[in-house]
Amino acid sequence: MVDTPDWGHAVELDDIAGAVSIVGIGETAFTKASGRTATEIGAEAAERAIADAGLIPDQIDGLTYSGAFAGFGPADFHAHFGTNHELWSSPWGGGMAWAGTAPYLAAKAIAAGDATHVLNVFPVAWATQRAEMTGGPGEVHAQQSLKQNLEVPFGWFPQPIYFATIMQRYMHEYGTTREQFGAVAVTLRDHANRTPGAVFHDKAMSIDDYLAAPMLADPLCLFDSCPISDGGGAYVVTSTERARDLRADPVVVLGVGEGYSATGTHWSQQRAFTSTPQVFAAPHAWRMAGITPADVDVLTCYDPFTVVSLMQLEDMGFCEKGDAGALAQSGALRFDSQQIPYNTHGGLLSHAYVLGIAHVIECVQQLRGSAGAQVAGCEVAAYGGYTGHMASTLVLGRDR
Amino acid sequence: MAIERGEFPLPDVDDPLVGPFFAAAARGELAITRCAECDRLVWYPASCPVCGAEPIWVAVSGRATLFSWVTVRRPFLPAFADFVPFVTALVALEEDASVRLCTMVPEVDPSVLRADQAMRVVFRPLRFATVPDREVIVPMFVPVESSSNRPPH
Repeated sequence: MVDTPDWGHAVELDDIAGAVSIVGIGETAFTKASGRTATEIGAEAAERAIADAGLIPDQIDGLTYSGAFAGFGPADFHAHFGTNHELWSSPWGGGMAWAGTAPYLAAKAIAAGDATHVLNVFPVAWATQRAEMTGGPGEVHAQQSLKQNLEVPFGWFPQPIYFATIMQRYMHEYGTTREQFGAVAVTLRDHANRTPGAVFHDKAMSIDDYLAAPMLADPLCLFDSCPISDGGGAYVVTSTERARDLRADPVVVLGVGEGYSATGTHWSQQRAFTSTPQVFAAPHAWRMAGITPADVDVLTCYDPFTVVSLMQLEDMGFCEKGDAGALAQSGALRFDSQQIPYNTHGGLLSHAYVLGIAHVIECVQQLRGSAGAQVAGCEVAAYGGYTGHMASTLVLGRDR
Repeated sequence: MAIERGEFPLPDVDDPLVGPFFAAAARGELAITRCAECDRLVWYPASCPVCGAEPIWVAVSGRATLFSWVTVRRPFLPAFADFVPFVTALVALEEDASVRLCTMVPEVDPSVLRADQAMRVVFRPLRFATVPDREVIVPMFVPVESSSNRPPH
């Protein structure tokens, strides 16, 4: 399979290296169905991030959130905090790939003088919504008429089927084994076991457990696939100059990258079927940050399925295409490997399916030295976001 | 927003964009969209990404290779509860391997399937217990070795 370079593109982002920093983080409880609304979850995450930054809600004058998933927008912010001040906002933030590009939006707004302290927030209540049959991860795909007519009738739906099909082709192209996919799942579970707050904190998993798990859609088994969760997170971005006056040590935004697949969310037609648009996003982020993948001490990637981890590790340049399975099996992804500590909180697979916001927060925890599965001497952390047609890379570092 | 179309997940044969695909299947033809100007296949139906011209529907051979497939064990929609286990697949058309069709591989032992093996189209009625008294003829694909032509149910 030849990866044709024309199957997607990178966005030309301005250089914002060092301009802004993350100064506050907030997480809610991560649970199965909680009965809470996304707005309630978002409000709690926002409160905690603002408090962690040592700020009060009146000082938050910018908000990035997800316009695609209702939850915690500007009106919710004012309603919750009882404020009515001017609030710059963008609906192109929140979680998923946008959890990696929201700091770029904040940097531009801050540089333009539109905001000083920008909150990015993303809540998920899919576990509750699915139980109540009002929504879930597949719904957005089922709404598209091409999918509804040309894919769903043939049983090619929803995401576990898309990625089982990618996994099958990936196994054919690269000879990847179930034990290698299992190594990803087992490593991430071990990390979750070390991370208080992870949904699977108290539940161990061995490679034998993985191999014995029921198949959802051969070759994809239960433990290749993430759970559905409730929970949310938020972080506060401000100028690095301002950040140095605040409570916590700044976590500096060193680089951002953004890339797209030309076939959108029609995975069935994506030319490079076993790749992600990280091929386009990551090189820009490394260049902006002035680093290479070898300089990354902790990597977190959006990982709804084990194969998505392997593809992104390759597409971001951590190994050659097809080699990530062997890398996982070698133990290189473990938090104590001193190689490529990966999804050290457990990822979507074992921490919680909160769509990437917790991945960025984990990067900040690692750089602050306060993570559960702490990597010694963590100086640079990166997040790889992936939302089907879009990938993002966010590089963060300690203030020098 | 739930799906409100009563016949979901049967395809909407009256959909202006893809209706001709199912009309062709009812005639026993596999039809795909081709650019009216530069003749390249454009799938899914859309104006040509190269020259911008509108697509026309043309019949193709129905020969393809098995690009990838999945044996579905758990029904993700209630309509598929009495299908499992079943094989859903992507096949790459002989005319242009970058065109992939979502399809089913009926009456096959999944353990014999191999990537890139030759497949041919068959036309079968698609019926769901959740959509009583309705069926739509759709293209499915079988390995070329197979002489089976029995309906799926």
